[in-house]
Amino acid sequence: MPTSPAEVSGIVESLRRHATYSLGKAWGDLSPIDLFNAVALSVRDRLIETMLETEERYRREDPKRINYLSIEFLMGQSLGNHLLNLGIRESYAQALGRLGANLSVVEEGEQDAALGNGGLGRLAACFLDSLATLDMPACGYGINYEYGLFRQEIDNGYQREKPDNWLAQNSPWEVARPDDACYVPVYGRIEHATDRKGAYNPMWMDWKVIVGIPYDMLISGYGGRTVNLLRLYSARSSHDFDMQIFNGGDYFKAVEQKIASETISKVLYPSDSMVEGRELRLIQEYFLVACAVRDIVRKFERSHKTFSRFASRVAIQLNDTHPALTVAELMRVLVDEKDLEWEEAWNITRATLGYTNHTLAPEALEKWPVPLLEKVLPRHLQIILELNKCFLNQVGGTQEGSVERIRRLSLIEESTPQQVRMANLAMLGSHSINGVSAIHSELVKTSLAPDFFALFPERFNNKTNGITPRRWLLQSNPGLASLIATAVGETWITDLYRLRLLESHAEDAGFRADFGKVKRANKVRLAGIIKDLLRLNVDPDSLFDVQVKRIHAYKRQLLNVMQIIDEYLLLVDDGRQPAAPRTYIFSGKAAPGYWFAKQIIKLIHNVGRVINNDARAREWIKIAFIPDYRVSLAEKIIPAADLSEQISTAGTEASGTGNMKLALNGAVTMGTLDGANIEIREEIGEDNMFIFGLNAAEVQTMREEKSYRPWDYYARDPRVKRVADTFSSNLFCPNEPDVFTWIFANILDANDEHLHLADFTSYSEAHQRAGDAYCDRGRWTRMAILNVARSGKFSSDRTISEYAKEIWDVRGSRLVEDLTNAAPALQPL
Amino acid sequence: MEIPVEQVEGVSVATLDVDELDAGNSPEFKRDIAPALQANTKLVLDLSRLRFVDSSGLGAILSCLRLLSAKNGDLKLCGLSKQVRAAFELVRMHRVFAITATREEAVHAFAH
Repeated sequence: MPTSPAEVSGIVESLRRHATYSLGKAWGDLSPIDLFNAVALSVRDRLIETMLETEERYRREDPKRINYLSIEFLMGQSLGNHLLNLGIRESYAQALGRLGANLSVVEEGEQDAALGNGGLGRLAACFLDSLATLDMPACGYGINYEYGLFRQEIDNGYQREKPDNWLAQNSPWEVARPDDACYVPVYGRIEHATDRKGAYNPMWMDWKVIVGIPYDMLISGYGGRTVNLLRLYSARSSHDFDMQIFNGGDYFKAVEQKIASETISKVLYPSDSMVEGRELRLIQEYFLVACAVRDIVRKFERSHKTFSRFASRVAIQLNDTHPALTVAELMRVLVDEKDLEWEEAWNITRATLGYTNHTLAPEALEKWPVPLLEKVLPRHLQIILELNKCFLNQVGGTQEGSVERIRRLSLIEESTPQQVRMANLAMLGSHSINGVSAIHSELVKTSLAPDFFALFPERFNNKTNGITPRRWLLQSNPGLASLIATAVGETWITDLYRLRLLESHAEDAGFRADFGKVKRANKVRLAGIIKDLLRLNVDPDSLFDVQVKRIHAYKRQLLNVMQIIDEYLLLVDDGRQPAAPRTYIFSGKAAPGYWFAKQIIKLIHNVGRVINNDARAREWIKIAFIPDYRVSLAEKIIPAADLSEQISTAGTEASGTGNMKLALNGAVTMGTLDGANIEIREEIGEDNMFIFGLNAAEVQTMREEKSYRPWDYYARDPRVKRVADTFSSNLFCPNEPDVFTWIFANILDANDEHLHLADFTSYSEAHQRAGDAYCDRGRWTRMAILNVARSGKFSSDRTISEYAKEIWDVRGSRLVEDLTNAAPALQPL
Repeated sequence: MEIPVEQVEGVSVATLDVDELDAGNSPEFKRDIAPALQANTKLVLDLSRLRFVDSSGLGAILSCLRLLSAKNGDLKLCGLSKQVRAAFELVRMHRVFAITATREEAVHAFAH
C-alpha cells in the first residue's frame, strides 16, 4: 500500500501520544520494550476501530457465528503480522525512521505469545488468521495462561526449562473485558430432589466458583477489512478473599484459596500428553468450556428469544478432545438453565458441535477417571452417564450389538477406576468428526473408531491442515515474497493456488538465479543467528538440512542423528566424502517429563560437539541445535532451509504443518509416506522430494506379524552395526561413560515401536540422492521452485473454506467462492 | 442481618437487605430468617437488592423452602436480578421455587 506524508505524520503523532500519555515517558527516554509498546498501542488503535466496524457489520448481517475452542493458541509475535495485514508496514517504518528508530528492531523486541506446545496450537493460530482474512464471523476461545510454554536453555547438552512469564509486561494486544466476566462452578455434589411438578430434579449444590475474566486479542485479516477476536480467559477468585475464612481470622488460608483459584489459568501444561488424571488440568479444560459456552449462549440470546435456531446460527469446533466437555456443558445449559427437553437439547448440541481429531495412538486419547469427574463436575458426570445410557440402549437395539462392540462404543471404559473416554464423548456429541490429513482421516475411520464409523459414516470427513501464507511466506520470507510478486503478482497472498503460475519460471535461468540469491540471503541470516547463539561458524553454501519440531520418539530425530553418524564415519573411517557439505540444523523442545526426548537433545549436542570439533569433518559436516524453538525462531529457520526432514514412522503423524511451511519456503522434503507428506507428494510430485521408508500399511503389517528383527539389520549391514556400536562405545560421550548405551538397547529391541533400523538404509540412500541433487544447483533450485509453486493446497484459507462449506454450513463468504472457482482451473498439471 | 418482614394479605413478605449472600453471611441469614419461618408458613422472600449469591446462599434459601414445605407451607421468591436468577438456573433451583417478578405477584400467587 502506498504511503503518504500525511499518513506518516499521523503515525508519528500517534506514536508520540502513546509514549506520553500511555507510557508516561518522553520519546527519547523509551526503553526497547517501551518502544515496542508505543508502536503496538498505536497499531492497536487502528485494530480497535476495525474491530468495532467488524462487530457492527456482524450485528447488521446476523451471520452464523463460528466458535473455535482450543486449549492452545500458539500466536507468536503479532506486530509484524498486523502491520502487513493492515497494509501499513511501510508507513510505520517511515514514521519510526523519522523518530530515529528502526521498525525491524522494534518487531524483534516483541515477546512471543507461546500459549501452545506445537502443531495443534499453531494450527489454531493459522486458522484464526484465515478466518479473519476470509471475513468470517469467528471467535477463538482459549485460556490466558500467565506462563506460556517454558523457555528452553541448554546446559552441557541437557535441556533446562525456564518459566515464560509472557504476561509480566502486560501484552498490549489484549483488551480486558471485565463486563463480560462469567462464573464457573466446580466441585460440589448432586442433591436428588423433585421440582414443583414432582419430576426428578437433580440440583448441583455446594460448588465453589471461579470467575473467568475475558481478555480479547485482536486478530486482523489480510486486507484490513476484518478484525476478529481471540477471547482468552483468566481465572480469578470469586471474591478477593473467601469471606467466611477471612472473618474467621485465617488470613493465610483465605489468600491460599485465592491463589488456588487463580492457578487455573497460571500455566500451560507443557506436554501434549501425560496430563490425564491431573485435577488442575481437568478444571482448566472445564474452565475454558464453561466460559466459552456461557459467552456463545449470551451472544446468541442477544438476538434470539428461543433456541430453535441455535444450531443454524452457531457452530462450535472442538480442536481435539481438550474441549470435549462442551458436549456435556451445552446439554447442561440447554436442559438445566434454559429448560429445553432432553431430546431437543441433544439435537441442538449435535448439530452445533464439530470435533477435530489430532491423535491416532489409542493410549494418547484423553480419559478422565469417573471418581475425579464426580468430584469436580458432578452434574456433568450425571449428564455423560445419561447420554451413555441412551446411546448404548440405542446401539444395543440393533442386531450387531455384540457385548464387545458396546464395550468399545461406551463413553465409559470399564477399567479400575472407570474412565470417561473424551474422544467417544466428542464423537457422539458432534455432527462432524474430522481428521487432519487424508491418511489420518482414513485411519480414524479404520483403526481409531471403526465402530463409530459403522454407526455414523456420514459424520466422518477429512480436512487436511493448512498454514497461513501471510505469516509463513509474506512476513517470514520477504525476499521470496517480493520475488514471487515480481514474477506473478500478489494474488497468491489470499489465493495460494496462484503460486502455480510460478511453474514456468522454474525453467527460467534468471529466475532461478534470483531464487537462489534469496535463499542464500536467508541462509546467511540464519548462519549469523547460529554464530551469535552457538558461537559456531556454518557455511551458507552448505546444504542446510533442517529438522525443527517437538522432540519426540515418533518424529525420529534419532534416525536423523544415526544418519549423520553414518555419514561422519564414512568420512573419517572410510575416507568417503559426502556429495555436498551439510549443516544439520535441529531445533525443538522436549516435554519436561519426557526422558527419551531429553536424552535425544543431549545426544544431538554430544554428536555435534565431537563432529564440529573434528578437523577431518570440518569442511563437510556441521551440527547446530538452536535452543528455544518458538514461532519467531521458526520464521527465521524455515526460509533458510534447503532440506526438510519429515521422517516420522509412517502411520504416526496425524498431518504435520512444518512440512507445509518448509515446502512453501522452497525446502525439498526428505520424508516418509506419513501425514500430509502423502498429499505433499501428490501435489509436488515424487521427483521433487526424497521419499523413503516403510509406508503405514507395511509398518502395521510388520507390527502385527512381529516381523521386525533389528538384530538381522545389525548383522547384515556393517554400516548399521557401526552406527549402533557408537552408542555403546562412548565415542560421543568420552567424559560421560555409558550415557548413550540405552540407545543401543533401544534400537536393537524388537519392540522398538519406531522401527529405526527398518528404515535406516532407505533413509541413508535417500540422503545420498539428496546430496547428489544438491550438487546440481540448477536442478536443485528447479525442485525448490516447484515445491513453492505446488504448495497452494496447503493454505489454511483452503482448509478453512472446507470447514466452512462442509462442516459449518457457512456460505456466501467471498473467498470461499473465489477458491472454489479458482482452484480447479489451476490445479491440474 | 436485618430482614424486615411485612404482612400482606396473610402472607409474610421478607426483604433481604444485602448485596451478597455467600459463605460469609448465609449462617447469619439462616439465623435471622428463622423467626419469620416460625411465624407464618406463607412466606415471600424479596431478593431485589441481592446482586450475588453463591452455593452457600442458595443452600440457605433452599433450607427455608424445605422447612416451610414440611409444614405444608411455601416460600416464593421475587425480584431476582439476572445474575441471581442465573445462579438459580445453574443448579436447577428455579424449578423448585415459585419465582415471580414482583412481590405483588408473589403474594397474589398464594391466593391461587
